[in-house]
Parts: sequence; C-alpha cells; structure tokens
Amino acid sequence: MNLQTVNANVSRVPFFRFLNFEVQSLDSLHVAAEMTFESRHIGNPVMEHYHGGIIASFMEATAAIAVHPDFAEVPAKPINLTVDYLRPAVKGSLYARANVTRKGKRIASVSVISWQTAPEKPIAEGLYHFLLV
Amino acid sequence: MSDITQKKMEQIAQMWNARGKGLITHMGLEIEEVSIEGVRVRMPFNPDFCVDRDQTLLHGGILTALLDSVFGLANFVAIEGVSTMATLDLRVDYLRPAHSRADVIVRAHCFRQTRHIAFDSGSIWFDGHENEEIARGSASFALTRGDTSLFEAMTRGKAS
Repeated sequence: MNLQTVNANVSRVPFFRFLNFEVQSLDSLHVAAEMTFESRHIGNPVMEHYHGGIIASFMEATAAIAVHPDFAEVPAKPINLTVDYLRPAVKGSLYARANVTRKGKRIASVSVISWQTAPEKPIAEGLYHFLLV
Repeated sequence: MSDITQKKMEQIAQMWNARGKGLITHMGLEIEEVSIEGVRVRMPFNPDFCVDRDQTLLHGGILTALLDSVFGLANFVAIEGVSTMATLDLRVDYLRPAHSRADVIVRAHCFRQTRHIAFDSGSIWFDGHENEEIARGSASFALTRGDTSLFEAMTRGKAS
C-alpha cells in the first residue's frame, strides 16, 4: 500500500476532508498522519484550542487507516473508543501515530497517540476497537 | 423538572452565540431543552460529517465531538461557579451504524459533581428513533473554580 493511494482514499471521504489531514507514513501495523489546523477545529474560541472531539476524530481516522489502509469506500467499522486528554492542543499542526496492538479475525485493537511539539509530550492517548467483519 | 434561572438561560444563549468560530458553530447545534437534570441538543444533518460517497453514513468521530460539546453545556447548567472545564477522558460506544440523513438528537447530563471533577453521560439517536440509540458515551471533566466565571471568560473573548 503506497502513500499516494492511501491519501487518495482519504481525500474521497467527506469527513476526512473536513478534518484535513494527510498520511505521512504507514506499514502493516502503523500509521502516522498530520492534521492541518483550521478554524472549524476550534473548541475553545477564547484560547483557540482544538476541540476534544476533533482530536478524537483525527485519532479514530488514523486508527481506522492502520487497521484497513486499502479501504475502497468506507473506512473500518469502529466499535468504541476511550480517550485520555493530557494537554490542550493549540493552533498549529497536530500529529497522530496509530499502532495496531492486535488484529484478530473479527476484532482489531488500536492504540493512538497524538502530539504537537514532541511525541514525549502527548496531547491525547486513545484506544480504539474495530469490527473487521 | 427543576427550573434554571432566566439569567442562566440568557448566559447560555449568549455564550453559545459567542462561539462565532469553531466546531460548535459548524455543527449548527440547537439547544432544545435545558434543565438541571440534563440538556437536549439537536444537530442538523451535515454531509461534511459523512464517510461514504452517498453521504448518508455519519463518521463516529462527529458523534464523539457532539457528546463532548453537549457534556460541556450540561456541566455549565448543572454546576455553579465554574471558571474552567477540561475533558479528562471520554468513552464512546458506537451502538449502530449512524446511517441516516435525519437530524441527530443528543441528551446528556452531569450525574455527579465534586469540587474538582464532573461526571457526565449521554446518548445519541436520529430524530424520531429514540429507541434506536446510535451511540452512548461518558466522560469526566476537571473543573477549576475561581473569580472569573466561564461565562465571563467566554464573552470577554468575543469582545477582544
């Protein structure tokens, strides 16, 4: 699966265009992506912080791509998620890295971390489950 | 249903409108019901939030964002003297595929508050299908209480 094909798939999903991110690298178990800041991502208009739901959405998107990078039309089916918010995300790019912890026949478990300045200073961490059937 | 003060209702309306930019404005949220027991909010259908080419299937993430937003409103309504509010963690279960072009309805409430923490839960369904929940979520929030109320901070931000 090459980057160009994956990003072409991403650009066909309306909500992924709304998020405005690009996959930077991927292999069979990992995906790294960068999301560009947009005013529609703001949750706290005074501080201009990202909305927590946008952070969770971006992490869900990268997790889904890690599980199923060659999705033809619709990304992998999410079951549920938990997110820990560790720091506010300010104006600027947000990065996410998804790591498929386990991929069985029916269920996949994916952990995702997002950051701005350095991965050692995470903005949020998430765990996502997907249904593969 | 216990009433909340007219003043608080006015503050809520003002604060919501102060969000001239950002996701909440983009979601076009309409408050339908507000009380100490909880809030009910409508999100009109928006094709931008879909994952499929036909634009009839909502992405789970927008439901997560919706819950997070409406929890914030439920906290503001239920808790007096909050100065800042930050989501600590959030859990969402996607109960059914969100397959419809109907408006989305979310109901949320703060079921426990302490000096530092608020606990919320909520659920989401398509308008007219209350018995077929599409998602359910819960979250905890870190609160700070101080001289500047959340309302003051938000509306001052609008003026600057």
